[in-house]
Amino acid sequence: MLGAAWAALAANRSPLPSGPGETILSAMQTELDRSMTALSKGDPPVYFISYTLADRQYSSVSGSNGALLSSSDDRGRWLEVQTRAGSNELDNTHKLADRQPSWTSPGTSTALDDDIPTLRREIWRETDRQYRASAEALIKVKTSQQVQVQTAEGAAPDFSSEAPRTYVGPRVDIHVDRKPWEERVRRYTAAFSKSPAVLNSIATFSALGMNQYQVTSEGTKLGFGQVHYRLELYVQSKAPDGMDINRFANFDWLDPKDAPEDKVVLARVQTMIQETEGLDKAPLIDPYAGPALLTGRASAVFFHEVFGHRAEGFRQKDINEGQTFTSKVGEQILPDFLSIKDDPTQAALGGQMLLGNYAYDDEGVAAESVALVDHGVLKTFLMGRSPLVSIPHSNGHGRRQLGYVPVARQGNLIVSSSKTMTNAQLRQKLIELTKEQGKAFGLLIDDIAGGFTFTGRGNPQAFQVLPLVVYKVFADGRPDELVRGVDIVGTPLVSLTKIVATGDTPDVFNGYCGAESGSVPVSAVAPAILISEMEVQKKETSTDRPPILPPPGHDPETKGAAQ
Amino acid sequence: VKKFAVGSALLALCLSFAMPLRAAQPNPKAAPQAAPIPAGENDKTLLAMRDELERSRTRLQLPGVDKPFYIEYRLLDVDVRSVTASFGALLASDTARSRFMSVDVRVGDDHLDSSNFVSEDGFRGFLGSTGQVGIDRDYNSLRQDLWLATDQAYKAAVTQMSLKQAFLRSLTKAPEIDDFSQTPPIIKVDPRIEPDWTSRNWDNEARGASAVLKNFEKIDGTRVNYYLIYVTSYLMTSEGTTIRTSRSVAAVEAALDTHAEDGMALHNYYAAYGAKPADLPDAATVGKSLAQAGTQLMELRSSPLVPDFTGPVLFDAPAAASVLAQVLPPSLSGARPPLSMAPAFDQMMERMGANSEWTGRVGARVFPTSITLVDDPSSKDFQGRPLLGSYDVDDEGVRGERVTVVDHGILKDLLMSRRPGPDFEPSNGHGRAGDLSDTKPLSSNLLFQSSDPLKPDELKKKFLDACRDDGHPWCLEVKEMDNPALSSVEQEDFSDFIGGVAGGIAGGMRVPLLTYRVYVADGREELVRGGIIQGLTLRSLRNIPAVGGDASVFTYMQNSAGGFAGTALGAFGSTQGGIPSTVIAPSMLFDEVEVRGFHGEPRRLPLVPAPPLK
Repeated sequence: MLGAAWAALAANRSPLPSGPGETILSAMQTELDRSMTALSKGDPPVYFISYTLADRQYSSVSGSNGALLSSSDDRGRWLEVQTRAGSNELDNTHKLADRQPSWTSPGTSTALDDDIPTLRREIWRETDRQYRASAEALIKVKTSQQVQVQTAEGAAPDFSSEAPRTYVGPRVDIHVDRKPWEERVRRYTAAFSKSPAVLNSIATFSALGMNQYQVTSEGTKLGFGQVHYRLELYVQSKAPDGMDINRFANFDWLDPKDAPEDKVVLARVQTMIQETEGLDKAPLIDPYAGPALLTGRASAVFFHEVFGHRAEGFRQKDINEGQTFTSKVGEQILPDFLSIKDDPTQAALGGQMLLGNYAYDDEGVAAESVALVDHGVLKTFLMGRSPLVSIPHSNGHGRRQLGYVPVARQGNLIVSSSKTMTNAQLRQKLIELTKEQGKAFGLLIDDIAGGFTFTGRGNPQAFQVLPLVVYKVFADGRPDELVRGVDIVGTPLVSLTKIVATGDTPDVFNGYCGAESGSVPVSAVAPAILISEMEVQKKETSTDRPPILPPPGHDPETKGAAQ
Repeated sequence: VKKFAVGSALLALCLSFAMPLRAAQPNPKAAPQAAPIPAGENDKTLLAMRDELERSRTRLQLPGVDKPFYIEYRLLDVDVRSVTASFGALLASDTARSRFMSVDVRVGDDHLDSSNFVSEDGFRGFLGSTGQVGIDRDYNSLRQDLWLATDQAYKAAVTQMSLKQAFLRSLTKAPEIDDFSQTPPIIKVDPRIEPDWTSRNWDNEARGASAVLKNFEKIDGTRVNYYLIYVTSYLMTSEGTTIRTSRSVAAVEAALDTHAEDGMALHNYYAAYGAKPADLPDAATVGKSLAQAGTQLMELRSSPLVPDFTGPVLFDAPAAASVLAQVLPPSLSGARPPLSMAPAFDQMMERMGANSEWTGRVGARVFPTSITLVDDPSSKDFQGRPLLGSYDVDDEGVRGERVTVVDHGILKDLLMSRRPGPDFEPSNGHGRAGDLSDTKPLSSNLLFQSSDPLKPDELKKKFLDACRDDGHPWCLEVKEMDNPALSSVEQEDFSDFIGGVAGGIAGGMRVPLLTYRVYVADGREELVRGGIIQGLTLRSLRNIPAVGGDASVFTYMQNSAGGFAGTALGAFGSTQGGIPSTVIAPSMLFDEVEVRGFHGEPRRLPLVPAPPLK
């Protein structure tokens, strides 16, 4: 899922000498050695331990409807301990078909001060807690082994062995003056309030500086910092029939000097207002099947949802998952002019930063560029340290939000095409297809919100992405007409094979993807795509009608209501 | 949208400041009126509330549907400073400022309105009627937020009313109790108190106090939390009530844990409360108390396990106060429970021991005739000790009254909010809420007193005599009861505890913290561990043989999360989200209490020795 959320990471490294990071790492190493020595002889024995300490500075300023909502600086250190009991082949994390192992949160807050005895005590205590939970879980795993349904991938080991990595980079710091941002979020949301169509608006600026330290019993020792700044704009409205109308925009940057200028943001505010007012008045779409053109940004989200999530390795071994692609490696799943890779090592594309950039994943594995689809043929999956029978190692995609257990996730999903045309040609082609199919109009989908991807087996193999801005493009040359309430229906494999052409300019979508291991920053990059047939249905309307009274600031019966 | 979820860090308080009440003309039957604001008052929050309330009152109506008959705006303006330290190191130090609103709209009339009804479905609005609002104290944004919340609350009320009417038609006999009681409107606009926590270096105090625990190598983990909280609360209703009050509370709450040599998990806690930051003990004093708690915990580590026991148990005053805080709340409330068409709701309430034993028993003897039980929000102190449960007006804008619940053993009265019950109708000013949640009749300063108290040595003698007569070589004395909300270092430990007692709490399961075996032969005391009290319910108090003349002021924060308030679990709260309350109680002797020793499997011992703390 692509969506907006709290915080982010992006590599930002330049050499600096050792500092407090080294002290922390050596304390972590001392405890790791003590724990490994004792727990590897325990009953059951532990075969792997990792300690991760995330030192997080976070500033956030939020405004709503012209006033400041909150403004705060937050500093915290979060310690994560992973103890794996059993062996790589079968350990306490083994997923059981019949029941979930009891869940113990993998962490605790720990000392902000570089107080080594306290840090060591916290690590020791958390290790003991995790070891007890691991030991209990392993007993449950072993007792239910006999009765368990085995799938082909169920025979895969629970955890991969990886070569140790050592890297200690410079520590990052952020220094945020919140005052100007307090003024800015007030100003942006006050601008939204000028439109009676905007019922509620929120603008949030956030700055994250995070230093992450990790040691593992395999000998990995990492210390690196990441910085990320973000501004999000969000508005809510209601069409006359009660349908919820939302618009969202975001700006991301790595260096304070690259913050968006006021006029750029205010221009975006105006665009969002226009779109909101336009959508409020737009007619509802009727059920339709026909050609559809997705602009780059919409196409990027489409690929993230429809393809990306299904290419996450861990889903292939979970019996509860749909496993759309599990047995399709080596097969043609897309038109042969399309290739897809996921490359977290790429920091920017065409001058735009890529939010899914990182050097090491959250399991201490170096990020790799992974060619997932080569000329339409599925090659492999995104892998964390939960291996498949055919893919024994991680490719550096084990990711998580603090407080969650890492699983294979996307980083920068990049779609490329060898059959491109200009956007104008693509539009012309849409009209041609519309005529060929004897339709009055085709669809132009300009913006899609990351919906929920139903990859679970209990759900139909359909996907729900929510197109927010959709136009009818008429075959007879009439001006485009904005419509609302469009819901895409269909099965992913089919829709992917119906791509007939692409644009020549890749577009970047930066966002937050929420899934099993929490919310992680990702990018999706894709050109515009033309789909020969897409089926849409009318979205269910909310039963909550627009407010009964006019907004207090726009009430003709009360003069001078605003103060 | 996170904006419209009241944050868990929101702390609701109920302290009081002596400000004269100015009651408007008590004329509740008159048509609702615009809420008056004192002349010269230019608080934009009050002005925005008044203007939007007035617009809603006069014009908010769906075609063919009732207008609201009651609109209520609540708003909290909160400043929180919180600091956490462990073994001398800072874990967190935060300052947060936030404001929250809650809008209640009712349709119908006093007799039958849209409230007091739990159903599985209902109105699902796009924003809801509660949420976070701007902290600028400006006019425009608050009106916008109140406008949307009022609209949502009204639509929810209309939906709720039709569901409720349909449900009532399905009953053979509809309840005859009114939904809402009348109360005279109150206008009380107190000065706003601005936060000040600069006078002391709270980071260093937390570091310094917690550093004392470095002397206890056997303590596994600890958290020392400081909370300094200022809240200005606003209440405005379509009946003409306008209230602005400012309150503060300050707290030190510390959790310590360890394990015994056999693996049993053990813990202890320390808590100190004050009405304002300056009232908190200094770091050296806190450190001394923490050292004492640490020493107790070390004694507990090496103490023997208590075997199963049934016989006389003496509760020292602080333990007795905690027991009262657990057994009394469900029965103190005179409000009827909401009508529910959700069986899961009823089951949950029953599991939490939320059912009253006193409903319909007014006039009956419920305690020995020497015992009087009073709840008094208006008293500010007891024998010179401040009472943090005091307030002038409750969270429904009703003046808090002194209520004699039990007079010389006879049940006379109950605590009332504006929700009537089978025995009483009008509110006596006990409608309290945390985090702008639903108000419930809750205690404030609860005073349990005997007209026939025993001196300490008399009580001890009576205890040992009872013990001997019952044929025991020793009996048990409980000096303190556990409060897992304070003694759990990790939130998960608290959840585990609640999960562990949830099934037994309605049946009287109570967990002591410090229990001593007292030998009949020589009066020797010996700390024991692992005992859980069974079957200690309100009925156990009906014939308690003796109480002491001592009185302990037990300050605690009633937990308002998860529906805990008003149940036995409500006693387990912390300053984070809790409602300040006190119980003043003497030592109490029970002649027959069942204590079960530890029968479970102790958890495995750490395989790695703890690293040094220094």
